[in-house]
Amino acid sequence: MIRSRRPSAQTTAVVLALAEQPTAWRYGYQLCQQLGLKPGSLYPILVRLADRGLLETTWDTDVPAGRPPRHLYRLTGSGRVLAAELAAARSAATATRRSGPKGSPNERWQGA
Amino acid sequence: MRWTRRTVQTVTTWVVVVAWVVLDGVALANADPLPPLETALVQLVVPPLLWVVAARLVLRHWWSGPGSRTSGMDLPGRLLSVALAALPERRREWGRAMLAELAEVQGRSARWRFALSSVGAMLWLPPAGGWPVLALVAGVVVASGAAAGPAVGAAVPGLRVFAVAFTGLVGAMVVLAVARSRRPRLRLPVPAPTVLVTGGVAASIAMTVIFLRREPAAAEYLPPAAAVYLAAVLAGCLWIALAAPRWLGTGRLPPHLGAAAAVVFAAWFWLANRTDGTEPPLPLALLLALVLVSAPVAVFFVPAFAAGRAGRSFRSGLQAAVWTVTAMVPLTYAIWLPEGLRRHAVDGRLLVDAEVVAPVGMNLADALVFCLGIFPVLGLTLAVIGAGLGARTNHRAVPNDPSSSSSRRS
Repeated sequence: MIRSRRPSAQTTAVVLALAEQPTAWRYGYQLCQQLGLKPGSLYPILVRLADRGLLETTWDTDVPAGRPPRHLYRLTGSGRVLAAELAAARSAATATRRSGPKGSPNERWQGA
Repeated sequence: MRWTRRTVQTVTTWVVVVAWVVLDGVALANADPLPPLETALVQLVVPPLLWVVAARLVLRHWWSGPGSRTSGMDLPGRLLSVALAALPERRREWGRAMLAELAEVQGRSARWRFALSSVGAMLWLPPAGGWPVLALVAGVVVASGAAAGPAVGAAVPGLRVFAVAFTGLVGAMVVLAVARSRRPRLRLPVPAPTVLVTGGVAASIAMTVIFLRREPAAAEYLPPAAAVYLAAVLAGCLWIALAAPRWLGTGRLPPHLGAAAAVVFAAWFWLANRTDGTEPPLPLALLLALVLVSAPVAVFFVPAFAAGRAGRSFRSGLQAAVWTVTAMVPLTYAIWLPEGLRRHAVDGRLLVDAEVVAPVGMNLADALVFCLGIFPVLGLTLAVIGAGLGARTNHRAVPNDPSSSSSRRS
C-alpha cells in the first residue's frame, strides 16, 4: 500500500532545491546555506529521502589534503518524479490562492 | 592550556592522588580504632599507585588511537566525533558526512552552531524500523516495568524497586536495540562466555530472591539506591554479554580468557570461604595458602596480560579485562548470598568478617559492597595494568618485526 501524505514544507524545499540542477551533486552545508536550514533539520530529511530511494549519495574524494571526503547528494529518478509533482502542486496552490479556494491537491508522497 | 598527552596524564595523576588522600584522610579521621601505621601507609600508597598506573596506560592507549584522530580538532569537532562514535554502524555514514561538512564551516560561533545542530540530528536520525515500531516497543517496556513492581513486590516485598529498575533497564536496552538496528537479532559471537554471564545474572537474581524470602528483614539492607545499583550492574553485565559494544571487538580469545578467569575467581572465592576455620594437613595448607593469596591477583592480571600479548594490542587485553569483571561480578555475588546464609546459620557471624556477630541481612550489604564495588574496581585496575604490560612486552619482544607497529599504535 502506498501511503499518500503531504511532505513537510522543509522536505519540499529540499527536494525542489535538489531538483534545480537535477544532475549536479550537492553538499549538505551548501543546501543548509541555500535554504537557511540547520543541519539538525536538513540531515534527517536527507536520511529519510535516501532511505526511500529518492536520493542518491556518494563521497567526494577530490578534497584538499587534510580534509575529510565530503558527502554528496542528488535526486534519483523517483526523486525527480516527486520533485516534478511537488513543483506542479506548488504552482497549482499558488494559482489557487490567486483565483480563490478550489481545494488543495493531495500530492503523492511515498512517506518521505 | 593545550591538552597534550603529558598534560592530561599529569592532571589525571594529581586528581587521583588528591582525591584518594582526601578520602583516605576522612576514613582515617572516622576510624575507631585507628589501623596500625603500616596498614595505614599501605592503604594510602598502594591503591592510588595502581590507579595512576592504570589510568596512564588507558590514556596512552587512547591518545595513540582514538585520541590521535581528534587531537587536531577543535571542541565542536570533538563533540561531533563523540556523537558519531555513538551512532549505529548503518547510520555512521551520515555522521561522517556531518563531520566532513563541519570542516568547511568557518568561524567559531558558526562551527558551534553547526556541531550542536548536527549532534541533535544524530540523536534523532529516523530509526530503521520506523517511529511507530519503536513507540510500540517502548510502550511494552514501560508497561512491563509498571507491572513488574507490584507483581514482584507481592511475592518479595524487598525486591520491588530492584524489579522495576531491572525491567526498565533491560527494556531500555531492547528499545535501543530496536532503534539502532533494522532487524534486531541476538548475535552470540562467543556463546560460552555469554551463557556464563547470563547464567550468573540469573543466579544472582534467584539468590537474592531466595535470600529475601528466607530473611525478609534483610530487605532493610537493600535500600532503593542499592537496589537500583544492583539492577544497573546486572543489566550492564547482560548488555555486555548479549550486545557487546563495538569497542569490545570481535576477537574470541579475550572473552574466553576473561570468562575462564572469572570461573577461577568464583571457585577461589568459594574455596576461601569453605576452608576458613578448617585445619587441613600441612602440604595442603601450604598449597591453599599459595593459591588463596596469589589467585585473586593472577585472575585479573594474567588473562589481560595474555590477551594483550596474543592480540598484540592493549585493546585486546582490555577486552579480556572487561569480560573477566563482567563474568566475575554476578558469579561471586551469586555465591556470596548462599554462603552468607550458611555461615550465619553455623555461628551467627558474617562471611566477610568472621569476628563479628551481626544480623544475617548484613551479608546482602557486604555482597553489594565487595562483589559490585571493591572486587571490580581493584580487579579492573590490575587487569588494565596486565593489558598494558602484555602489549608492551610483545612490542619489546619483536623490535624489528614490521607488524609490531600495530602494537605501537594500540
